[in-house]
Amino acid sequence: MSVIQELIQTLPSGSVIADTEQCAPYECDGLSAYRQKPLAVVLPNNIEEVQAALRICKKHKTPVITRGSGTGLAGGALPHSDGIVLGLSKMNRILHIDHLARTAVLQPGVRNISVTQAVEPYGLYYAPDPSSQVACSIGGNVAENSGGVHCLKYGLTVHNVLSITVVNMEGDILVLDEKDDGIDLLALLNGSEGLLGVIVEVKVKLLPKPDTAQLVMAGFDSVTECADAVTSVLERGIIPAGLEMMDKFSIKAAEEYARVGYPLDAEALLLCEVDGSFDQVKVDTQRIAKILEKSGATTIKVSHNEAERIALWQGRKNAFPAVGRFSPDYYCMDGTIPRKRLAYVLEQIEKLSQKYELEVANVFHAGDGNLHPLILYDANKPGELEETEKFGAEILKLCLDVGGTITGEHGVGVEKLDSMCHQFATPELEIFHAIKGVFDDTELMNPGKAVPTLHRCAEVGQMHVHNNQLPFPELERF
Amino acid sequence: MSDSFSNQLSDQIKQAVSEKRTLQITGNKTKVPLTEGAEEISLADNAGIVAYEPSELVVTVKSGTKLTDLKAILAERNQMLGFEPPDYGDSTIGGTYACALTGPSRPFRGVLRDFVLGTKMIDGRGQQLRFGGQMIKNVAGYDVSRMMAGSKGSMAVITELSLKVIPLVEEVTYCKEMPEDEAIILMNKMAGTTLPLSGCAYYEGYFYYRVFGEHAKQDAIQCDNSVWLTLNPFQPKLEAGQKLWRVDTEGPAPSIPNTIAVGMCGQRRWVVSDEAPAPYSTLWQSYFAPRHNDTAPISKIKAGLKQVFDPHNVFKPL
Repeated sequence: MSVIQELIQTLPSGSVIADTEQCAPYECDGLSAYRQKPLAVVLPNNIEEVQAALRICKKHKTPVITRGSGTGLAGGALPHSDGIVLGLSKMNRILHIDHLARTAVLQPGVRNISVTQAVEPYGLYYAPDPSSQVACSIGGNVAENSGGVHCLKYGLTVHNVLSITVVNMEGDILVLDEKDDGIDLLALLNGSEGLLGVIVEVKVKLLPKPDTAQLVMAGFDSVTECADAVTSVLERGIIPAGLEMMDKFSIKAAEEYARVGYPLDAEALLLCEVDGSFDQVKVDTQRIAKILEKSGATTIKVSHNEAERIALWQGRKNAFPAVGRFSPDYYCMDGTIPRKRLAYVLEQIEKLSQKYELEVANVFHAGDGNLHPLILYDANKPGELEETEKFGAEILKLCLDVGGTITGEHGVGVEKLDSMCHQFATPELEIFHAIKGVFDDTELMNPGKAVPTLHRCAEVGQMHVHNNQLPFPELERF
Repeated sequence: MSDSFSNQLSDQIKQAVSEKRTLQITGNKTKVPLTEGAEEISLADNAGIVAYEPSELVVTVKSGTKLTDLKAILAERNQMLGFEPPDYGDSTIGGTYACALTGPSRPFRGVLRDFVLGTKMIDGRGQQLRFGGQMIKNVAGYDVSRMMAGSKGSMAVITELSLKVIPLVEEVTYCKEMPEDEAIILMNKMAGTTLPLSGCAYYEGYFYYRVFGEHAKQDAIQCDNSVWLTLNPFQPKLEAGQKLWRVDTEGPAPSIPNTIAVGMCGQRRWVVSDEAPAPYSTLWQSYFAPRHNDTAPISKIKAGLKQVFDPHNVFKPL
């Protein structure tokens, strides 16, 4: 019996999609440049069905690609031609809310934003807020260790998850809890990109909803002044809830799109939001406005009510689609750098932009150094996607050169495998593969993602010798 | 990345492997004494700040650095460690990390590993490794730096740590006399409000809570901040034969018989008992005596990971 036949026979009807047409929506995730049809899609209703599906796949040596909402930006949920996609979208119930303990127990397919919506009546909320929060799932958030604009103050997913239940390829259930003694397996599973286990239940921490939030917007004549202003705010002991920077191109695009009153003559724009109790927010807002003024801000605007605050955010929140209007396609990068190197990095990106003849817009989570350059390109022009990817890889290398990292919050997936070869040396990569082997000795869970093979890195090394010209691009790399 | 000290440690490990000896990793031995007859691999002299950028909110420190020294350096720049580690007198940051020790601020600011950004370590083959970095946001590769918190010297020698730091705040403690049950409920209710809390505990008939930043006038007695030092590390005087258990539980969980203190907003209970009083109980003798309540698949994974980092079992398991 084939793996598909056995899955169909074992699982309830409607849980297995083997029809090629019906599998089409699963052939890519948020990184749509990469597509692959899977062997079949399995949509389990509960933990027992996940266990059964994994045991069958293990028996048939069939790869399993776990998928939440498919919003990932690094191709982490890209199917395998010989594997199944294990979609957890049907497991989307909030199982328990304990408002006194400030926790919620969730199935993996629960959408991020629906957690906050469900606990709002108790004056609570779930802090991590990736920009895809209306669609992305909590299981996917854990697998990617997702961030969001409020990370600096409230942390990433790993800081807000108290325990998870995981199923391995044997179909065994593992419960990993923050309270566990010894090494921190819960931390290890956060951001493991579906390579170590299938997350089937998540218990999250809930926080009291702030009384209020206030936003200060400031325009600057130079990127350096703007970055220095951020430094001054942080040095004075204020941790803003959101701290976002935009470059001139992004300001112009966002203003044309949203018409919110961003200063078009500014070289850089800073949006600084504080939240908390009424008293604290009042004090912090005044202090921030003063610090920004002293740092050379040419325009400063403080939101005086909720409507003004939301309006000022509209430009930043729509920056991606706004920039997108200037080009048929754009490619979003996710490097992280020490903030003090920002001016240098932006200058280098500008030089690369000229070299590749591709425009780039920069938006920046300034508090935690997470840079999102958007490279504008046209996928219909032959070779332009490949040029864009090369440009992107050079940006990531630049991030590493200044002491940063290749991915702050999007993950490695298939997209940044080559860049991983630059970030990690052979012994660390060997350790990663060995860790994978402990959880999944037959390498069936999301194979080929997140950690490059040493063979591949050897090839990447050769590519550098050849001045980054890809040798034999038609050959399969593994 | 190699420096002469790391090279020396690396050689010591390789030598021990080739001679089939085991090594006990130590700092200032404030928590665990050297086992009789054991060979020591000491990090006590591996002290000092490697890099500190207050505005980047990151400090990189050698593992043998004393907590008191590290805290003083941060305080000079109006910053502090968010996990409020207990200090047993000359405790090192490396030993604190190895035992994953967090203080009273845990429910509000998080646990030790939440603040770990990167590590340099030497594994049981003598390989010098580096994971994570100095970035607050970094999802490249498995998070070995956070995983290793709590490894208690059983997997690798930690030589350097990069930690996120937070602004130093002024804190005020208030207290109210009330029964334990009521205090446990009240502290959890308060934690659900926007009052800027950094500690909630119950000790000897009083509910204590600690507040920072701007806040309204409190209907409670202002008292000394030293109660948090009494509870962190909690070292009560016990009668001969009495066993002290550290119990980690849900914040609002009902009170456990023979509790002598409640910390961390109810998430930690200190109980005197002959037997383990609840799941997640640790017999608190050597500050971190291991629990043996892992399920079979988790024990298998932990044993597998030990083999990944220490295939020759050169590091003494604790």
